[in-house]
Parts: sequence; C-alpha cells; structure tokens
Amino acid sequence: MSWRDAVRLSDVAFTELSLQAIYALRQGNLGPPEPAERMVPRARRRVVQSKAIVSFVLGLLAFAVAYALHESRTVASAFPFAVPPGVFDAGLLTGLLSLDVAFLWWTGMQVLPTFLSSGVLPVLEPLPIDDTTLSRVAGLLYLRLFDLPALTVVLATPLLVGFALGPWAGLAVVPGVVAAVGFALALSLLTGRFFVRRVQGSRGGGGRALVRWIYLVLWLVPAFALFGFVTAAPAFFDFLSHLSVEGPSTGSHLLLAAFPFPLAALPAIASNGAGGFGLDPLGWLVLGGATAGYLLLAVWAFVWVLESVRRMSIVPPAAARPVRPARLDLVPRPVVLAVLTKDLRIASRTPGFAFLVLLPILDAVAIGLWTYVTASGSAAASNLAFAAVTTAALLATFFGPAFFAIEVFAFAYGRTLPIADRSLLGGKVLLVALMYLTASAIVLGITLARVFDPAVFALFILAELPGVVAASLLELGILFRRARRRGMPVTNLYAGAWYAIFVSVPGLIVAAVPLLAFQVARIHGSPLGLTVMGAAALAELALAAPFALGRDGS
Amino acid sequence: MATAPPLSIGELTVRYGERVAVDRLSFTVGPGEIYGLLGSNGAGKTSTIKSVVGLVRPAGGTVRVFGRDVTVDGLRVKEQVGYVPETSLLYDALTPREFLEFVSSVRHLDRSVASERTASYVRAFRLEGEFEEPILTLSYGTRQKVLLIAALLHQPPLLVLDEPLNSLDPRSVRIMKELLVRYVAGGERGVLFSTHTMEVAEQLCHRVGILDRGVLRGEGTLEALREKVAAGDATLEEVFLRLTEEGEGVRAAVDSLGAPG
Repeated sequence: MSWRDAVRLSDVAFTELSLQAIYALRQGNLGPPEPAERMVPRARRRVVQSKAIVSFVLGLLAFAVAYALHESRTVASAFPFAVPPGVFDAGLLTGLLSLDVAFLWWTGMQVLPTFLSSGVLPVLEPLPIDDTTLSRVAGLLYLRLFDLPALTVVLATPLLVGFALGPWAGLAVVPGVVAAVGFALALSLLTGRFFVRRVQGSRGGGGRALVRWIYLVLWLVPAFALFGFVTAAPAFFDFLSHLSVEGPSTGSHLLLAAFPFPLAALPAIASNGAGGFGLDPLGWLVLGGATAGYLLLAVWAFVWVLESVRRMSIVPPAAARPVRPARLDLVPRPVVLAVLTKDLRIASRTPGFAFLVLLPILDAVAIGLWTYVTASGSAAASNLAFAAVTTAALLATFFGPAFFAIEVFAFAYGRTLPIADRSLLGGKVLLVALMYLTASAIVLGITLARVFDPAVFALFILAELPGVVAASLLELGILFRRARRRGMPVTNLYAGAWYAIFVSVPGLIVAAVPLLAFQVARIHGSPLGLTVMGAAALAELALAAPFALGRDGS
Repeated sequence: MATAPPLSIGELTVRYGERVAVDRLSFTVGPGEIYGLLGSNGAGKTSTIKSVVGLVRPAGGTVRVFGRDVTVDGLRVKEQVGYVPETSLLYDALTPREFLEFVSSVRHLDRSVASERTASYVRAFRLEGEFEEPILTLSYGTRQKVLLIAALLHQPPLLVLDEPLNSLDPRSVRIMKELLVRYVAGGERGVLFSTHTMEVAEQLCHRVGILDRGVLRGEGTLEALREKVAAGDATLEEVFLRLTEEGEGVRAAVDSLGAPG
C-alpha cells in the first residue's frame, strides 16, 4: 500500500479518534440525544477548535517575542544590566523555542491518554494491511493531533521573526522551530508511554496512589514553563550579560551547546552579526556542532516517533505481576466521601483531570514561594501570601466545572446507581473546597517562616472558604439543571466546552466578592476586613445553597 | 405495596427520534421468578431494560418496580435494583476493589457485610489476582464478573441482567446459573434476564417473553409457547423462530449463502 492509502486510512481513523475524544463512548459515556449523523461533524469541529486554541496561544507567543525583538532596544533598557543586542535577541528566542517545546509537549500529554484509550489503531491491526502502511497510519494519526499547533510554530515563527529581524533571520530560525517540534513530539510520546506503564496501569493501594500523584506533579512541569520563563528571565539575562563581558569561557561554550540556545543564536547572528557573542574558534565549533547535532536529533526524533507510535498504541497498559491480595475487605464511606474518593482515584490515573486538581495547588505554592525573595515580615511578603490564597480560591473555582466532566466516565452505568443529586453535588463541592484548603494550607506552611501574622492569615483562609463553597454550589447548580434537562453528565465537551467556562464566570464573581470586601475593609484594620469578608462569604453561601440543593432528584 | 410484583411493565413505548424501539410492551416479573426476554438484535430488549434502570425515558406507558414508578420515584427504584449492562464499560481507571467500594458506599452497605459478600464472590469467580489491577487492564470476561458482583452486592430484590453471561468462562456461567436459581428460590425476589442464547433461557427462565421489532410476539412458559405455535416437542429456538416468523427467513438466508469455500 502507498502513502496515499495510509493518508486515507488515517483520515478514517482520525474521525473515530475525534468521536471518542469528544463523546468518550468507549469510556462508558451515553451518546447524546441527537441523530448520529450530527455527532461526527460536531466531534471533528470540536477537535479543530481545541487545536485552534493551542495554535492561537503559540501564535500569540511568537507575536509577543517578535514584537520584543522589533523593539529590543526599549525592552533591553528595562533590565538593570547590559546585554549586547545579538545576545539579547538570542535570549528572547531561547525563551520562545523553550515555550514552543513546553506547550506542544503539554498538548501531547493532554491528548495522548485519549489517543491510547480510543483503541483506534488496534482495530486496524487484524485487517489485511501491511506493516509499513500500519506504521505510517499510526504516525500520521499521531502527527494529526499536533498538525495545527505544529504548523503554527513552523510557519508563524519564521514569518514573525523575519518581519522583526529581517528575512535572513526568519530563515535562520527554521532549524530551531523544526527541532522544537521534533523534540516536543518525541517527549510527548516518551512521557505518554511512561504514563501508560506507570500511572494508568498502576495497581491499587495507598502507597501506589501517592507515587502516582508524584508522577502527575512531574507531568505538570511543562505547564509551568511560562511561569518558569518569566521567573527565570532576569537571572538568565543577567547570566548572558556576565558571559558577554567575560568573553569566551567554559560557561559560554556550555551555553552554546545547550538546547535551544545555539538554534536561537542563528537568527540573532544572521541579523546582528556574531560580534556580541565574542566567539572564539572553539565557540564556533561548539555552535556549529550543537546546531547540526540538534538538527540530526530532531530528524531522528521524527523518524522514531513515526516508527514507535504503532507499537506503543497496541501495547496494553501495565505489566504488573498478578499478586494475590492478602485481604478482600471493602471500606464503604458516606456517599459524599465515596464520590470524592472515586473522583480522586480516577484523577490519579487520568492526567487531564489530575492537572485540574493540581494546577490551582501548585500555582498557589509557586506564588507562596515568591515570598522568599521579599524581606521577612514585610508587607510585600504578606501581600504575596494573600495573593497565593486568592489565586487558589479563584483557580479552584475556575477549574471546578471542567473537573466535573469526570462524570462522563461510565456515565451509563453510574446513572443506574442510587446517588441523589445532593450527594453527587456534595462530593464535587467537597473536592473544590479541598483543593482550596490544601493549597492554602501549604501556602500557610511555606509562609510561616516569613512571619507576618499567621493568625490573621489563617482566619483569611477560613473566611474565604464559604465563598469558595458558594461559588462551587452556584456553578454546580447551573450545570445540574442543564445536565438533568438534557440527560447527560454534569459537564461534557459535547455540551460545548464554553459552557464550563460560562458557568465559571458567576462562580468567579462569587469567589471574588469576599476577597474584594477584605481589601476594601482592611484599610480600617485586619479584624474589620476579616469580619466583612466572612460575613460576605456566609451571605453568599446562604443564597447559593438553596439554589443548588433545593431540588433533589435521582 | 407489599403485594406489588418485582417488575410490572405496562404499555411501554420507547422511541429514538422517529424510530419506535419498543411498542406498547406489557409484561410482569413475578416474585420468585426468572423472566427471560428473548429477541433478535435490535428487537428492543436493551431498550426495555434501559427503561427499567432509568437510562431511557419512556415515550409512553409505565415501568413499576415493586409498585414504584421508575420515572417518578427513580432513586428508590434504583436502590431495589441490581443491574448488569450489556457492555462492560466501567470506571476503567478504578480497580475492582475501588469500584466495589464505591458501589457499596452508594448502596449504604455495612463494612462487614460488604467485605464478607465481596470476599465470597471474588473467591467464587477467582478474581483474587485481579482485585487490585485497574479495570482498564482486565479482560471482558473479568469485567463482566466485576459487574455481576456489583449487581449482587446489596442482594437486591430485583436483578436486571442484560446478556449477563456473555464473555464468561464455562465455570462462571455455571456458577451464575445456579446462583440465579437459588436467588429467587425464597419466592420474593425477581430476575429480568435478556439473552440471545435459547439453551440458557430454556434451562433458567420460568417464563420468557419473545420480542420482535419492539413487539411482544409471545409470552409464557415453554409449554405454553409450544401450545401457542402448536409444536408439541419443539425447542425454544424453534418456538422463537416460529413466533418471530423468521424460520423461513433463516432457511432462505442459508440457501443464499451456498456452501462455504
């Protein structure tokens, strides 16, 4: 069979993959109450929309960096140290290429579990199709998960850099973007394989659950790339400044060898010349060698990806040895806790959902850690700690509705169990409250050493809690009404992802009101600020609870 | 309420858009009875069962479990029903232990009762080795066993089983058959059982209902159905083909295929 046949087959397979990605029918969801012929075009449209959102973010990043390159003198003057123009441009492009890798990698990690669980490729295996064609179909299918975002990186970056630094620079950035895409695809597949073996197929038990959550925290690292870049940028440019003053050194040679700096240096040299880099013969050798090496590695990565996708997608998860458990006892819990436990257990083997639980917590922790760059006991430290808790409250409220899509798993079965809406709702609200409290408790722990007034801070956390619960109840109240009317899970992508975003708007307002009340009233002292905040949050809870819990059903 | 049968279906109609899947179907599952619902693919068996467990809202008619209307008192009905679906699409990310723990919590089972029953079923179905493995990694047969345990865990007064023996190994099929016979022996519980396999229905069911394109073509004991089609010693398969008027169709289909090879 030819490449044309492979393309044709991958098109059919991609339709099935889109259908499973959106409707999750193989994960036990009920089909929507609409004619089947509408489902396929809608699924394809939703997948394109998702890819368009990622592409938009990548395009926006490229545009922002190109703008900074165009205005590099003004931007560079904002830094307290002098970096030669060419080196400064290379620094900016290093950031852009790193972010391209991180975003594409993150995208891959989000879609890979669906790709692997869709069972699309195993369906093709028994058909009379030769091995080469099957491998090509698998490779093409995998590439299609990234097509629009990858094309955005490969096309938009050279165009925008060319516009900012000239056509030669635009051309010189091509090896960098090709390598970024190649490495991101390979990293996604590698981590995907790791996920299948170590997370999705992990056996039960408390210890193993802890290990899974640690893996999932590592899984989130690329999502913090932008945060890391912004945080590390001043130190990085300071480092570049030192190196350029120092001239050729071991440090500068190591930098020239480290991905993606040499590939980012090419367009900077094409635009500004190599003067600022102070390259000695060894420096040129390292630059040339690293560039060629990374390009070869990227080509190898593409080939490896195309060859490995098929093998990986038909390998069943988990190769754990069957072990006879010593005990067969069960620990039934109150229904609300059972819902919470079930959701956390599913999330611990499903990175997409684990991401929604961990991100508010890790984000708050990251902001909390910033207090260590401020003076101990200062107002700045205190404000950062409050900001960390505020972030936890708002992110838990924002991501809550998206997390409720976990209900699509085995929805057809779950609906036959006698779970009252009130219990289901209670479990979900408890999760959001737990996310907020965990993040806040960690921030409190981190910032205790900065000693500003832990008692006030602890009261601040508690005073916001009813506001977070009220926000979550409001969001769920809206979602439950819609879900029950249409006979589908609490949230689902086919209901339109926009709906989960839409309901989070009133939720965010409700969560923000007590925080704003505190900021306004604290002018007259923290006790008044906390009293007003607590009163506002409790009033919101008194209004939201009857709205959400007032109608119970099956 | 005390005298109400485990399941009573009256004039049930199920529609998917314009298509009528079940057309004014009426039957009752009595106390102590295993009622078999037989039919070809697309006959309306699963739609009927989904109406009983609340997955499909009937377009007309009533479904009552021990006198309670499914559409009015759904939560109470679900408490009284144990259900095994046609496809074993479960919470793939959970292990059997985690899944059964969730089910026993939802069913408000006491810890010792839940543990005792689980241990008995797990040992009977030889599931010990897979008890801590994610469901995702289990075979269809093993998933089916997990579903059967989940349905039996609270010893419901009505069991609703949609093709429950599919994918099970012969040993487990035998266990299930004997278990179902004992399950209703007390004379209070009922079982609604759908299957394609005539031999199983013949061995297990006290009465059967034969569905064809959403319409009940016949109902009763095997003897009563034989009388209806005037076939004194016919098997259930022959009775089924006569009632659904598919006997001639089968012969014509085989003839049209010719000899293989």
